[in-house]
Amino acid sequence: MSALGGSMRRGAGGRALFLRRNGPLIMVYAFILLLVVIGATQSERFLSERNLANVARQSAFLGIVALGQMLVILTAGIDLSVGSLVKVSILVSAIVMNGESANVVPAILATLALGVLVGLVHGFLINELRIAPFIVTLASLVILKGIGLTISSSPVGKASREVMMFYVQKVGPLPVIALMFFVLVILTMLLLRYTVFGKHLVAVGGNVEVAHLSGVPVKRTRYGVYVICSLTAAVTGLLWLSRMGVGDPAIGDGIELQTITAVIIGGTSLFGGRASVLGTLGGVLLLGITANLLVMLGVSQFIQGLIQGVIIVAAVALYKQEGD
Amino acid sequence: MSKPILEMRGISKSFAGVQALNKVSFRCQAGLVYGLVGENGAGKSTLMKILAGVYKADAGDIIYKGQPRLSASTGEVIASGISIIYQELALVPQMSVAENIFLGREPRTSLGLLDLGRLHARSDQLLSRLGVALDTRSLVSQLTIAQQQLVEIAKALSQAADLIVMDEPSAILAGSELDQLFDIIAALKAQGVTIIYISHRLEEVFRIADEVTVLKDGEVVDSRPIGQLDRHTLVRLMVGRSLDEIFPQTDHEQGDLALIADDIATDTILDGVSLRLHAGEILGIAGMVGSGRTELARALFGADPLTRGEVRLVGEAPHWKTPSQAIRAGVALVPEDRKSQGLFTALSVRINITIPILSRLSRLGIVRRAREERVVSDAQQRLSIVMTSPEQETQYLSGGNQQKVVLAKWLETAPAVIILDEPTRGVDVGAKFEIYKLMRQLNDRGIAIIMISSELPEIIGMSDRILVMNDGRVAGQLLREDADEERIIELATLGGAEAQSA
Ligand SMILES: Nc1ncnc2c1ncn2[C@@H]1O[C@H](COP(=O)(O)OP(=O)(O)OP(=O)(O)O)[C@@H](O)[C@H]1O
Ligand SMILES: [Mg+2]
Repeated sequence: MSALGGSMRRGAGGRALFLRRNGPLIMVYAFILLLVVIGATQSERFLSERNLANVARQSAFLGIVALGQMLVILTAGIDLSVGSLVKVSILVSAIVMNGESANVVPAILATLALGVLVGLVHGFLINELRIAPFIVTLASLVILKGIGLTISSSPVGKASREVMMFYVQKVGPLPVIALMFFVLVILTMLLLRYTVFGKHLVAVGGNVEVAHLSGVPVKRTRYGVYVICSLTAAVTGLLWLSRMGVGDPAIGDGIELQTITAVIIGGTSLFGGRASVLGTLGGVLLLGITANLLVMLGVSQFIQGLIQGVIIVAAVALYKQEGD
Repeated sequence: MSKPILEMRGISKSFAGVQALNKVSFRCQAGLVYGLVGENGAGKSTLMKILAGVYKADAGDIIYKGQPRLSASTGEVIASGISIIYQELALVPQMSVAENIFLGREPRTSLGLLDLGRLHARSDQLLSRLGVALDTRSLVSQLTIAQQQLVEIAKALSQAADLIVMDEPSAILAGSELDQLFDIIAALKAQGVTIIYISHRLEEVFRIADEVTVLKDGEVVDSRPIGQLDRHTLVRLMVGRSLDEIFPQTDHEQGDLALIADDIATDTILDGVSLRLHAGEILGIAGMVGSGRTELARALFGADPLTRGEVRLVGEAPHWKTPSQAIRAGVALVPEDRKSQGLFTALSVRINITIPILSRLSRLGIVRRAREERVVSDAQQRLSIVMTSPEQETQYLSGGNQQKVVLAKWLETAPAVIILDEPTRGVDVGAKFEIYKLMRQLNDRGIAIIMISSELPEIIGMSDRILVMNDGRVAGQLLREDADEERIIELATLGGAEAQSA
């Protein structure tokens, strides 16, 4: 018989394999559940509709960018510029909008165009000049931040009334912004599962040499993914405008690290080739709920940072143990 | 004569001063099988990579299907009907079998989405054409390398190419899979597909090729119809001298017992293997791919934990559980997959060879460069490693020379027991002879060798004793005198009990 008998019996352990592969993911969600239980028992306000809606919105703000970040990391890249881009986006959109309803569409278009442009520049530097993504986006973090603070160091511009209303709008009990994030989560899952582009992201991250030899359009794939990531940051800038009502230059700092944290907690490999949308969602929720809970329990900011660090190490250790 | 499907004219290519190819011309008629042979580093893979669009030639023309082709991307070349099975496995480990087969050419639905149904159905078809039972959804990282090689072949077939280049496809296949491959080649040929077949196993070339081209040091030595060649002539063309004796004769005596394994089993496939190894002998391990040969090597080396049984050196308690402990105890393993397990591909030849013995070469933690260089130049001479300098990154060495670097590295550790997993895979005839001689020299120094190999002539020619594996167990043991190919294949395919009753 064929010499491959040995491998066929691997199929039998399908369920065990599922548990082993998804064990850490299950733990992340179990941990979220634990936090919810703690929250519910330690504070009356935690489970109030108002607070839950807040957690959902905050998670969406982080989560949308985290999805873009995850796709970039899947290709063995990284995007450190997202925080600065959120900052420039809120400023640009606020200034263009200037409180006028008539300017809403131009403001949105201008902001999205900004996102596309930044993504293309990243793609160009990484593809054509072969500079490492870390370096390219680090430079871009600094430059965009500089541009933001040059535009203004105090709040400028103004959101229109509708835009401000958008922040509080709900479908049933669910804030529209959270719903939007949810839809993007689904779309990203579909992207990875059912589209050629999604498979190419995995191939580029898994082994770029092989991807190239197989005729995968490596450059186009990279352009695409950096544009998508920058777009998620631009959109998040717009969402911040709807929340703040003005172009606040204090917005955006640190988002890059938070998104990377969420992505790592979610089990996506920093070396590329493996990503988990549900994991990233879990990572985002975990960070969002922890932050909310710590504030609610009156824990100091510094300790919050400490706790986040512990969560990262714990999560990564977990994946190392069970993920291989 | 009909018009050639491919003509490469005056192709030259150099890498940072090394002339890899010098005015090479090569032509193929549609529907024939071309053998491309030559020593390690002769330029075979480079020529094919130029055809594939991976490298751009410094000079020369490529005329394909009557059209001159200047430069093309890898994607365009594939689309033009040329597909290549690369010497180094070219699969994305994190993707499934089916996704790998159709990577870059994914079937799409009318909406432009991935057509998962067709993806898996067509992959299934291709694999069954190869006679392989594999779940198209399993990740490539979970496959053995032989299975990965079969996926590569399926990938090339999926491209429905007019010209297929196979760069040492057989290096990791054995027995039935190899027959399967030859059947496929015959079928493709009957359909008018042209095949360029690179191999160091000359029997294969004689079995399937219509015409053979010999490359040496980047130049074409000769190109002849197979009918005008015999093995002897071919070897002389490749090496530039006659090699009468492939397997060096031995007259050494069996030494004392060196290593004992008792009833060892692992989580993988091993299920109760016992063996005895004597100083100064070569124990050959034969068996089909997947029979547990590599797993046995890993278990002996402490790379996979034992669930049962024990391994020890004679006179000592079993005391290694990890590879690093095994190395300290004097056991070395030269793994079969050199790219992922044996080499730091981005580092120099020098570092690769000296890394296990740096402390021996240094004083107060400072590496003494002169001694290091002496070790490297000794190794280079002994194994005739072709490289531009000791500083060359090993990823740029030809496949066979990479293998020699891996060997050199372990030989420097002066082990008492050395386990060689497919030591001559992808190594040319001349270098094979060097490696065989070296193994005998090691024997003379009292070193015991376990050699896993899929090449039966090598197993029979080199081993003092042969252990045949089947399904994770020892199917039988043969002395060199009693061993012949039939007997081994019988044991390997039927297993011990059945073979006896048969
Ligand atoms: N990318 C590269 N950079 C530098 N040198 C290279 C590169 N690729 C190949 N070479 C050199 O070109 C020569 C030819 O290598 P090639 O891989 O074509 O040999 P080969 O005939 O395929 O050998 P093998 O039988 O060992 O596979 C070698 O000397 C090798 O070191
Ligand atoms: Mg080669």
